[in-house]
Amino acid sequence: MASSANGGGNPSGLEALHRLASTEPALYLTQSPELSKSARIASESLFAFLNDYVPKHVLSRLSTEGFDAEQIWQQIDLQTQPLLSSLRRQVRNFEKNPSEIGKQFNLDRDGVKEDNLRVDGKNKETDSIESESEDFDDDDDDVDEDEEEDEEDEEEEGGEDDDENDEGENVKGVEDKFLKIKELEDYLVEDEEREYGVKKEKGNKRKSGKIADEDGEDKNEEGDEDEDYELGLMGLGDDGSDMENARYDDFFTSQKKTSQKKKPKYDDESDGMDMDEPENDDSDQNEQSHPTHGKELGQLRAKVEELEKENMHGKTKQSLSTHEKELEKLRAEIEEMERANLEPKTWTMQGEVSAAKRPKNSALEVDMDFDQNVRPPPVTTVEDTASLEELIMKRITEGQFDDVQRAPTLLNKAPKERKEMDENKSKKGLAELYEDEYAQKTGLVSTALSFSDEQKKEASMLFKTLCLKLDALSHFHFCPKPVIEDMSVQANVPALAMEEVAPLAVSDAAMLAPEEVFSGKGDIKEETELTKADRKRRRAKKKRQFKAESVKRMAVKTQLSTLKKHENVAGNGES
Amino acid sequence: MENPSAESSAPTAMDLETAAAAAPPRKPQVLFAQKPNFRPLKAHEISDGQIQFRKISVPPHRYTPLKKSWLEIYTPIYDEMKIDIRMNLKARRVELKTRTDTPDVSSLQKCADFVHAFMLGFDVIDAVALLRMDELYVESFEIKDVKTLKGEHLSRAIGRLSGKGGKTKFAIENSTRTRIVIADSKIHMLGSFANIKVARDSLCSLILGSPAAKVYSKLRAVTSRLAERF
Repeated sequence: MASSANGGGNPSGLEALHRLASTEPALYLTQSPELSKSARIASESLFAFLNDYVPKHVLSRLSTEGFDAEQIWQQIDLQTQPLLSSLRRQVRNFEKNPSEIGKQFNLDRDGVKEDNLRVDGKNKETDSIESESEDFDDDDDDVDEDEEEDEEDEEEEGGEDDDENDEGENVKGVEDKFLKIKELEDYLVEDEEREYGVKKEKGNKRKSGKIADEDGEDKNEEGDEDEDYELGLMGLGDDGSDMENARYDDFFTSQKKTSQKKKPKYDDESDGMDMDEPENDDSDQNEQSHPTHGKELGQLRAKVEELEKENMHGKTKQSLSTHEKELEKLRAEIEEMERANLEPKTWTMQGEVSAAKRPKNSALEVDMDFDQNVRPPPVTTVEDTASLEELIMKRITEGQFDDVQRAPTLLNKAPKERKEMDENKSKKGLAELYEDEYAQKTGLVSTALSFSDEQKKEASMLFKTLCLKLDALSHFHFCPKPVIEDMSVQANVPALAMEEVAPLAVSDAAMLAPEEVFSGKGDIKEETELTKADRKRRRAKKKRQFKAESVKRMAVKTQLSTLKKHENVAGNGES
Repeated sequence: MENPSAESSAPTAMDLETAAAAAPPRKPQVLFAQKPNFRPLKAHEISDGQIQFRKISVPPHRYTPLKKSWLEIYTPIYDEMKIDIRMNLKARRVELKTRTDTPDVSSLQKCADFVHAFMLGFDVIDAVALLRMDELYVESFEIKDVKTLKGEHLSRAIGRLSGKGGKTKFAIENSTRTRIVIADSKIHMLGSFANIKVARDSLCSLILGSPAAKVYSKLRAVTSRLAERF
């Protein structure tokens, strides 16, 4: 609509674009006013085209006369910035609701198909399949603008946009099943790898193949162009990417798989497709697509059967039954074992192996089992250390260290008296020193010169007094007082007086024992101990004694008296 | 008892001799000459009655100490050694002179040595020992006689000799019964011969570089031997 409106008014723009496209790239480096003029015209036309689709108009037209490149660019930027954001929004919307894409396309389908065909054919060759998804993300231009696509496809100027547009449309067309198909493919690949251990690196190719196949099968709406697209993909995609690693499986297994998996898909999506079909004007094309596709499939199948017949060994993995699969596995294992047996054994299996015969540090890796006579060292546990530490702390607090004490050596002789090294200035002069020495030698002075001597003297004095006292107490032998060499004035006292005549200690212990001393006989009782009978006896005894004495005295008296008489008489007679 | 008789006989012999001499010598008799009775010569007379002198120059650094301790020097020399002593101020010399009543010949030399020792740097009380004892000598040597040292090494060697606060020097002095004076590069020692030898050995080992502790240990061994002799 918009395109038709603008289409008439921009032949000059188209011309300009053509001109630009046709110039050699080298000429762009030179300053040519023609090129700049044509560039300006082309940009103006493009701007005008795009202006219709801008959500809100900022500039009505691009003004290029007398403007700098920077300024022109700024104007374009003003237009494209909101445009880009709106486009992105729309793309995201399409992502979420793929069905809407169809509606979009259906609206715009009319004048576009041939162009698209042409365009597809061109661009498939140039682009890689991966760019589909990338382009999908990186759509800079309005994908809905078919007119622009046409023009820009033809241009090489804004080159990056062209292909993206094209693929964008196709991707959009595939898109509503795209994700699901992709997931399915991934799962298939993984499963295959897991089961047969064959790494399929042709993911993209297969994807492309599948996409192509799916397009071919499902997309009735797309019709011829899709078929061609698919064929093109099939034929070109594989060849183009990996010629050297092309395998039978790549061609046929994927085909088979996709054919198998696609059929239910086809059924599921047929409703969607059916909806679109009536809207599609090109029903002829749809009809045409089916038979062509089926023919192709048949061809492929025939090929597969041939191969199978030819090469029984080279069965593809899918054709084997479970039993055969197991047999395969066993066979592989057996082969491996045989191979291992033929090879030389690892060093661990070789019996006695010295260090030179095995690789370095290999003994560390092997878990060896051997007997050792040595008792393993005791493992220190936490309890051990705890108990040790407790003991240590206890000993420290007690102060009991079990230090080894040196046994005291017994002196054989008295320790030699050592004079201390005196580091002070001597107080005596040299003369005095010699004087002292002389005096000591000749004995004029007492010998206690050194400090140790004095101490010794004092000690000996004390000991002597002690000995004297002990002797006096214990032996009762007379020991004279210890001689003290003393230079003191002595009084002129007789020498004997110096020593005490009397012994210092006298004992009152007698020689004889008490019972030996005792002269009485019998049992001696004290006054208080006497009984009455004893007292009486004593009194009686006393009386008797007294009587006896008195009688004696009487007798003596009489004798005396008689003697006296005789004397008197005699005396008288004499006189 | 006999002696008087001997003495009497001697004169009698002499008398006889004189008598004999008086009388014309008819018979030549062998007569013993009487021993001459000399009293001991005085010091003065030994030197033929001539007075002897000694002159000792005073170095400038000992001038003031000399002035301070003049009386301590003067008294023993004049009173006990009986030597005249005077200070020649102009010539900066101490002059010694014997007197007629100087008892000993060697006293002048002793006094000269005493004063000289004082001039070398010894204390009066130490130098006086020279007067009182015969066997004391003064020996001097220089550090460069032992080892050629220059500059800092020399200073360090002197430091090693004295020790901190002079304690090494005093240790040697006390243990060997000598007195040491360290005057810059010259070292003087006063003491008896053996002790001087020991002190000199210690000082030389210190100059040559051994640490003080080593020197002490050697000293201890030697001095104990020296002490044991007495």
